[in-house]
Amino acid sequence: MSRARSGAIAPQTVSNDDGADAASAVLRRHAEEQFAEELEALAKDDSRPRPPRWRLSPWAVTTYLLGGTLADGTPITPKYIGNRRLMEVAVATLATDRALLLLGVPGTAKSWVSEHIAAAIASDSTMLVQGTAGTSEEAIRYGWNYALLLAEGPSAKALVPSPMMRAMKEGKIARVEELTRIPADVQDTLITILSEKTLPIPELNGEVQAAKGFNLIATANNRDRGVNELSSALKRRFNTVVLPTPETAEEEVEIVRLRVESMGRALAIPSEPPGLEEIRRVVTVFRELRDGQTSDGKVKVKQPTGTMSTAEAISVVNQGLSLAAHFGDGVMRSADMASGLIGAVVKDPVQDRVVWLEYLETVVKERDGWKDLYRACREVV
Amino acid sequence: MPNVASTSAAAIHILGVRHHGPGSARSVRDALAAIEPSIVLIEGPPDADAMIPFVAHAEMTPPVALLVYRPETPRDSIYYPFAEFSPEWQAMTYALGRGISARFMDLPVAYQLGRDEGDGPPEVETDPTEPTPPRRPVDPLGMLAQAAGFDDGERWWEFVVEWRRDGADLFAEILEAMAEVRLAAPPQDDPRELLREAHMRQTIREARKEGHASIAVICGAWHAPALAETAWPPARDDSNLLKGLPKTKVAATWVPWTYGRLSRDSGYGAGIASPGWYDHLWTAPDHVVERWLTRVARLLREERLDASSASVIEAVRLADALATMRGRPLADLSDLDEAVRTVLCFGEETPMRLIRRKLVVGERLGRVPEETPSVPLQQDLQRLQKRLRLAPDPAQTTKVLDLREPTDLERSRLLHRLDLLGVAWGRVAHVSGKGTFKEAWQLQWVPELSVSLIEASLWGATVEDAATARAADRGGREEDLPELTALLDRAILADLPAAVSAIMARVESLAAVAADVTQLMDALPPLANLLRYGSVRKTDASLVGHAASGMVARVCVGLPLACGSLDDAAASAMFESIVRADSAIRIMDDASGLSSWHAALARLADSDTAHGLIAGRAARILLDSRELDEAEASRLMGLAVSTASEPTRAAAWVEGFLRGGGEVLYHDDALFGLFDSWLAGLPADAFPGLLPMLRRTFSTFEPPLRRNLGEKASRSSSAGSRSPLKTNSIVDIDAERAATVLPLVARLLGLGGGMES
Repeated sequence: MSRARSGAIAPQTVSNDDGADAASAVLRRHAEEQFAEELEALAKDDSRPRPPRWRLSPWAVTTYLLGGTLADGTPITPKYIGNRRLMEVAVATLATDRALLLLGVPGTAKSWVSEHIAAAIASDSTMLVQGTAGTSEEAIRYGWNYALLLAEGPSAKALVPSPMMRAMKEGKIARVEELTRIPADVQDTLITILSEKTLPIPELNGEVQAAKGFNLIATANNRDRGVNELSSALKRRFNTVVLPTPETAEEEVEIVRLRVESMGRALAIPSEPPGLEEIRRVVTVFRELRDGQTSDGKVKVKQPTGTMSTAEAISVVNQGLSLAAHFGDGVMRSADMASGLIGAVVKDPVQDRVVWLEYLETVVKERDGWKDLYRACREVV
Repeated sequence: MPNVASTSAAAIHILGVRHHGPGSARSVRDALAAIEPSIVLIEGPPDADAMIPFVAHAEMTPPVALLVYRPETPRDSIYYPFAEFSPEWQAMTYALGRGISARFMDLPVAYQLGRDEGDGPPEVETDPTEPTPPRRPVDPLGMLAQAAGFDDGERWWEFVVEWRRDGADLFAEILEAMAEVRLAAPPQDDPRELLREAHMRQTIREARKEGHASIAVICGAWHAPALAETAWPPARDDSNLLKGLPKTKVAATWVPWTYGRLSRDSGYGAGIASPGWYDHLWTAPDHVVERWLTRVARLLREERLDASSASVIEAVRLADALATMRGRPLADLSDLDEAVRTVLCFGEETPMRLIRRKLVVGERLGRVPEETPSVPLQQDLQRLQKRLRLAPDPAQTTKVLDLREPTDLERSRLLHRLDLLGVAWGRVAHVSGKGTFKEAWQLQWVPELSVSLIEASLWGATVEDAATARAADRGGREEDLPELTALLDRAILADLPAAVSAIMARVESLAAVAADVTQLMDALPPLANLLRYGSVRKTDASLVGHAASGMVARVCVGLPLACGSLDDAAASAMFESIVRADSAIRIMDDASGLSSWHAALARLADSDTAHGLIAGRAARILLDSRELDEAEASRLMGLAVSTASEPTRAAAWVEGFLRGGGEVLYHDDALFGLFDSWLAGLPADAFPGLLPMLRRTFSTFEPPLRRNLGEKASRSSSAGSRSPLKTNSIVDIDAERAATVLPLVARLLGLGGGMES
């Protein structure tokens, strides 16, 4: 089908392992580098049985994801705040040698979870295939160094392995991002890999058999179901875990606070950390619009077309922070959040605007201590 | 025999159980077989001792419930439900099978119902401002299970029993464990609890006095330590405690129950969340996990969802892995649920709901033998039938009720209530004559109705209560707004204020998020009817009025948008909805609602994007309600039907304006004049272009009507007073040229013989 596209070589991830300087200069470090100490401590503390080639036992992986304190007192920061059971299901899935599909609306930490699971299990989260409409079979299987291919004919040397192939050889976790964006015929390449655990190379009359420890984590967005719906044969080979939006307001405030703080540090925004009160207000607005009712359950509100995900709440706060830092006095106030809020809510200029105005007039205006937010929002709407 | 908690040589075996726990049931069955007691004492209402023999009846199929009630006020009642897997049920079955006596030993309901009247010792009042004191755990064994890492007390029980292998010392250990739990959370000085335990002890003493050598006591685990002989207070204390309790007369019977209602609170405290799963634990001989997941897969397949055996295998593996990760030796329901969701349901919630309803909770309905004493609902109905002189007659009769008469009004309410309960005794028949105070019923009492009455008795003990509960339950589950308001209509006809307010709340919350304006409009007519007939029916109109005006407001906001880009079929449906909503809003007597309705219609009438049918009807409605003067109407008509507009839309407009209104056109001089003058005012060259479209509309009228219209047209033109409109807009009529048009119009209207095909 699309295999004749010359030059479609899988994007090679350039590893930063070579030097500490290089690592600290990059904008965002891989999970296994950023949390190397935690992983180290966990591995030392971990006496439970490990599946073949897992760096940590399933229990330790769950602890790494959900946070906790080890026997020797090392604190483990939570990577995923939310339902413990979901993470247990995800890790148990990989431990039973089944591929894992993380589904969820945008901004529910799918890629984040997949990166951290790969980091914890294989201490390598870089075996990544990014799914797009243009992802070709070569990106999942292997490509060719065409110069060598022409000069010497098909040989192992001329073969350019994909991250998938390398993960199979090395017994690591491969990750596929946005699986449903990949064209259906290319998706089906995964079927053999998942059921036979081998990758045939007919040109060399050979195959790559997956080493123990190999597994696959895919993420997909269930808002665009139907873009390239998985075939039932492929779907059947995945265990599907749906990551929900945060269950409680407190949980969500905590997520936003942690992420804003760590991103603020990374981006070096010169402002005070946001007050918990402001974060709580943003989170409340997001939750109420997402759930279609006020947090006390008394008033129904219309829902906007956007997903109102936690990730967007984080960026609203971040944006508010940088507005306050660069154009204000460094303290985030309601005016700094207003424009971000509108940007997040009003995705459709007609319908969402009505939703937002209705929400402002019926909920925000009436609420004690929210007058400033109401005024700030009315000014920009 | 030493394998059970025997507290003394008198051989009193205390079997502390989980109510409705299949594990407990199995252990009780085994323990009883080992003990071979001469009497079985069960935690249950002694008032219903006479009902125990029915358990062995061939037609008795659990789930069923013991209903203990006061005959005068059947509303005061307590249900004790039993499933096949209830330990109490197994104990009764054992006793009846062996021909030994079985007795209930809890505090008689006769005392409990008496106490609720307020003349007994006062209930413990809890001040809402103070932190509530720790209450006695509803499921103390469940707490132990949770401490052991289980979410599910039953799986824990299974594990403990299996792990012990001999399962025998189990009850002794439960006794010990519960003694510890009771120490840690000392029983509150809840007088009711003290009374109950005192009565249980007294019953045991009595049994011993009667000379029973081996007594098996089946009680909730929590009570076990209090019943162990070593912990007994002097008999005098107990009898003093129980002395002088107010007592009322009660009656008992069996009623059918459902698994769904096993989850409700009852005489056994909190209900159970997963009766279907417990049923499975009780019936599955082995391989509980594999059998459960296979059942799930089969259910999914029945619903045409993919569920291969390979997936079942993977689900079993995942469930086991999850249990291991969570440190449990056996997978419990939460592990299974997650495995099913992840592997078989692809993470989706909808099939999980199906599994929950059909398997985890289950839909089983119990049955009781015919010989069972009649249920209070039947008695209540008999009382009502006698009082209202409405005897059940197997032949079909018609009864016309005059709702102004109090007795007839009550009869009507009774029939409507029974209808809501699914006891279809009567059917509302068409009533001739005008007026809203008459209601005709076709009545026929068929034997099957007795059965539906018994089935309905699980909803309550009186017709009113049961109908309220049933209607409120249906209302709570209804997703469709028009259906819901129809139900509301019935609930109001049945005069069930509690159900009405429950349904009303549901109406308001559904209406708040209803995106579909058609739905909202279709929901209006029943509400309007209620407002209109409220006075006859003596129901509270303000309640309905509030919701209705809210819905009108929403309709008015959404209507113009909802009428954009409709195809012909959708426009036709919308047309009907608008017509119905219009008549509903007009009878609602809500001035502000009516004016915003008219404003919304005005926007429609003026809109280019609305379907012609709808724009035409909007104009017509406004004209009829004098919101639009004739000049304006004529302008709108001219605009819609001008040659520039698309012919099909123009035709639709005229159709919308006139549909179903040929007669009106004939009788309403103003309308006729308007139409006539518009037609006459058309420029000559535009007229032929519009003819086909006009013909299309007029051809829907009956031929005689067309002839009448034509005659009227000729009459009015010959009389010279063709139009009530001021003709200043039409200057200088060229009579000659106008006359050339007339034959054509005459032909069109059927004057020239009306024979053209």
